[in-house]
Amino acid sequence: MQGRETMSIWFFCGVMLLAYGAIICITGLWELSHPLLNLPALSGLHAPIWWGGALAVAGLGYTVKFFPRRYRG
Amino acid sequence: MLVASLKTASLLLQAQTRSLAHLDSVDVLVIAIYFAIVIFIGFYLKGSSNTSEEFFMAGREMTAWIAGLSFVSANLGSLELMGWAGSAYQYGILATHWYWIGAIPAMLFLGIVMMPFYYISKVNSVPGYLHLRFGDGARALSAVSFAFMTILMSGVNMYSMALVMKVVLGWNLNFSIWVSSITVAAYVALGGLKSAIYNEVLQFVLIWVGAALVPILGLIEVGGWHNLSTQITTNLHRGDYVHLWSTLGHFKDNPMGVQWPGIVFGLGFVISFGYWTTDFLVVQRVLAADNIRSARMAPIIGAAFKMMTPFIVILPGLLALSVLPFHLVGEAQAVATHQHSYNEVLPLMLVRYCGPGLLGMGVTALIAGFMSGMAGNVSAFSTVWTYDIYGAFINKKATDKHYVAMGRWCTLIGVFISILTAYLVQHAASIMDYVQALFSFFIAPLFGTVILGMLWKRATKAGGFYGLLAGTVTSISLWIWVQRDPSALKYVALSPDANIGMAENIYRALWAWSVCVLVTVIVSYATQPRPVKELEGLVYGVSPLPEEHDDHWWQKPIVWASAVGAIFIVLNIIFW
Repeated sequence: MQGRETMSIWFFCGVMLLAYGAIICITGLWELSHPLLNLPALSGLHAPIWWGGALAVAGLGYTVKFFPRRYRG
Repeated sequence: MLVASLKTASLLLQAQTRSLAHLDSVDVLVIAIYFAIVIFIGFYLKGSSNTSEEFFMAGREMTAWIAGLSFVSANLGSLELMGWAGSAYQYGILATHWYWIGAIPAMLFLGIVMMPFYYISKVNSVPGYLHLRFGDGARALSAVSFAFMTILMSGVNMYSMALVMKVVLGWNLNFSIWVSSITVAAYVALGGLKSAIYNEVLQFVLIWVGAALVPILGLIEVGGWHNLSTQITTNLHRGDYVHLWSTLGHFKDNPMGVQWPGIVFGLGFVISFGYWTTDFLVVQRVLAADNIRSARMAPIIGAAFKMMTPFIVILPGLLALSVLPFHLVGEAQAVATHQHSYNEVLPLMLVRYCGPGLLGMGVTALIAGFMSGMAGNVSAFSTVWTYDIYGAFINKKATDKHYVAMGRWCTLIGVFISILTAYLVQHAASIMDYVQALFSFFIAPLFGTVILGMLWKRATKAGGFYGLLAGTVTSISLWIWVQRDPSALKYVALSPDANIGMAENIYRALWAWSVCVLVTVIVSYATQPRPVKELEGLVYGVSPLPEEHDDHWWQKPIVWASAVGAIFIVLNIIFW
């Protein structure tokens, strides 16, 4: 019999972080060429790029590590 | 802590005039992804929530990390975050006491001393333990009061979320109430406690990634902690905002109007131990652990994260004292003068540092916190109603399938009552204050009853019941006394300089606990003790605890608890 492992909560966390990280990082990169009208404080540090990037990397790691594997029973 | 944070929502009621932030389409996408994941988890876990053990106790298969994060997350609601960030702006670093001495010792005590008894007795709830130890009277009293208060609290929580969304984003109250209620009802009714726990872990991660950027960027802006404390002292012309203990010698020496005995014995002992060791809303998460070692490690892991929480809650409040170009004021003044209130400090700091995307994640963290709080209340209500009221007194011989169906219906009915409560509170805001007060009546005496039950084998059934009753009556009486005559606080807090609010809650809890313990001891000595054989697995020293086999010394829970305890002491000394 074949099947997949149960999805772990860490897998869900990984998917969520990956999605959010990618969206925020891409938004940050977009803002480089399309600056906001109302800039947040310390916008020169480009927090969306590095924070979003860090979340995406962490999310990718968790998604891959806890991806439900196939098994043969 | 819960009482104080809910006060925030009560105050926000008066200030629903303008929105602080406007969401971009990317922010809406971030929020939509969260709702999609939450609903998916509910449907996904439905298949593994078919028996009562699975539905109410998550199959008792949670690892220490999942149970620990869920344990601390059940308390980390958005009102908690926003309320204490506002308190940090108002009272300074003293607000940290509610996260450190007001939580860490109790959580470690739960893991090391109390958890083995909860776990090996295989009870499904705290009232369930009272049933085994003190009989049906104590169980009925605690179960009915808990179920009643939990479901009302869920409604208050729901209304608070809608209110915050209205103040922060200008959203319609009905929209927020119905969307969040239907979502919570769906994922808890489908997946039971496991679904609630999964979502709490998800929420915990979200809160940290959504809120951590504020203190990081804030510290960069002010130039570090040393500069921040210097700026606060200079701006306010007072040095008591950045010290934890050195200003607690007298009520008048600190902005909060409290004294160290109240913080140590009232907050650090009675309130904290009462909440973290006997409130079923949080204890239920640890009871779902997969073995006794996980059950002991979960509160220790939770304590470690709880100790870090001031970084994302208290620090933004303190940073606001330095970086915001305007002053925040009390709620009444904010309404009259259209200024921003203390309670808006966290959203204000979020808006200050976060653009599109990041702002959406921060708002999602707030929504997740509220929904998780509702889900926690509803799942705990469903368990206590089904096991300790319906199954214990109304229908004792139903099938397991019947109890699961009852649990699912209870969840839906609980959410429905919560919605009614939310609308009731909307039209009569003072109800919120009464609900908060009612909740606080039961926690302190319940801790007295449970701790004597676990540590003192001479405590009898009558002693437990009458002690719990006397403690609860004492708490209610003191509250009524101070409500009718505010000057009575000088007798309750033993000082004419004590403040109504913080000091009142702390000292009322101390009296309620003391009366509970005293009455329990007196009645126990006056009544026949239970045979020692009947107390096996319920009382310390009566039965041997199961052996835990750790491969290495550093894997033992006591080692980790000691490490967390040592860091707790060092942090208190650093910020003395």
